[in-house]
Amino acid sequence: MSREHLLAAAFVELADTLVDDYDVVDLLDRLAVHSVRLLDVTAAGLLLDDQRGRGLRVLAASSEQTRLLELFQLQTDEGPCLDCVRTGQPVSVPDLGEAAARWPQFAPKAVQQGFHAVHALPLRLRSQTIGALNLFHDQPASLAEDDLRLGQALADAATIGILHERTVRRNETVVEQLQTALNSRVILEQAKGFLADRGGIGVDEAFDWLRGYARSNNLRLSDAARRVIEDGDFARAVLQSGR
Amino acid sequence: MNDAGRVADLLAGIFRDGPAEVAFERACQACVEALPVSGAAISVMTDTAAWQTLGASDATAAGLEELQFTLGAGPCREAHAVGGPILVADLTDPSAGAGWPMFAARAEELGVRAVFAFPLHLGAIRPGVLGLYRDRSGPLPNDAVRDALLTADMLCLALLGRLAGQDTGNGGSALASMWADHAALGRAEVHQATGMVMARLSVSSEEALARMRGFAFSHGLLLAEVAAGVLARRIVLDHDGATGAG
Repeated sequence: MSREHLLAAAFVELADTLVDDYDVVDLLDRLAVHSVRLLDVTAAGLLLDDQRGRGLRVLAASSEQTRLLELFQLQTDEGPCLDCVRTGQPVSVPDLGEAAARWPQFAPKAVQQGFHAVHALPLRLRSQTIGALNLFHDQPASLAEDDLRLGQALADAATIGILHERTVRRNETVVEQLQTALNSRVILEQAKGFLADRGGIGVDEAFDWLRGYARSNNLRLSDAARRVIEDGDFARAVLQSGR
Repeated sequence: MNDAGRVADLLAGIFRDGPAEVAFERACQACVEALPVSGAAISVMTDTAAWQTLGASDATAAGLEELQFTLGAGPCREAHAVGGPILVADLTDPSAGAGWPMFAARAEELGVRAVFAFPLHLGAIRPGVLGLYRDRSGPLPNDAVRDALLTADMLCLALLGRLAGQDTGNGGSALASMWADHAALGRAEVHQATGMVMARLSVSSEEALARMRGFAFSHGLLLAEVAAGVLARRIVLDHDGATGAG
């Protein structure tokens, strides 16, 4: 598919999702996947400032592979995302091999996982940076000017999706919606574990089955996650559909 | 130590040192001292899905909780239902409190001008709510929001300990362990492991996490380590006890 087609497909899907009654975590999930395709990177994740001063939390990723999530999570204490959130500026590292001094915990771990370039783009809301779009590449690479702009547009779309409005006037709304989004993510993780145990499968697979079931049954991902935990029959149905 | 740490330590100290019955009331008083609010109350949902006030800093705060129980509506109820904070900087603003006009009117009569409700929650685990009230309007400043979020987290942990019958007054290690547990709560593994234990034992999310914490405490492990063990199926929590953990 040409880049134009990819862009159009991404735009249509995101617009559809934003217009309907949507699920934040699912939207960001899709956005992360689109980012990977459009920017030609290996993996993407969306991290949010937890607002407690204790670091960043993963909200969505292009793949739920545990190793990848851990790499995002590792950045709560140091790394390109944290620098990006603190400064409000994009952070680009075309060669992670040279970043060990800058991020002694994160850089070697990332290289170990096969990632050699990383970029972080700020999720901006006026003067605040609420999080970052994190991009990983399996080869050393810079991000071209056009791609940086597109990446920032995707990051801005993520911010809109999280905060539900183009301009949020009250800071209270920002806090309310960010915290609700973070809590939705926790329910999703609990549901993954629940399905993993009942189904005798891994948590990564559990997520795929849950997301697949939610999409085929026109359910919001967050609602499906909650129902897994609250309703044994529902959990069973999800597992059956996955097999 | 930054202010947020101070608030959290204050709370942990209350639960560590004080008798359990008044700990939550003292926690409410601590909130009023440490945060720019004039009243605080903690309510929990009981087994029978009824609400109960666990502690309040004063009669007004207690009254506002009771009012919400009676009406079945209000900022605390909404915060619990929605799974996120409900922050109302000005109750006299007609667009504020749109979902609970009777509550807003009564609260105004009692001299309350702003309400900030923080659910005590971890995903599907949601034992209660912290209601903060103020006699003047105006938003909660960012650092107070941060402190309140941390306070809500710590109260949630304390409630889980209480529900599991874990002794909250077991010395200085309780403070360090609550703070360490809090750090673990940012990790997906802890929540995944909670889900696994829920499924394995067919227990509530609260009980699942409480058991994991109890196991961590009795084996001198970090909560994060227990979670990793559960996920790797090295640690298996059973109804009678547990195997693994070497």
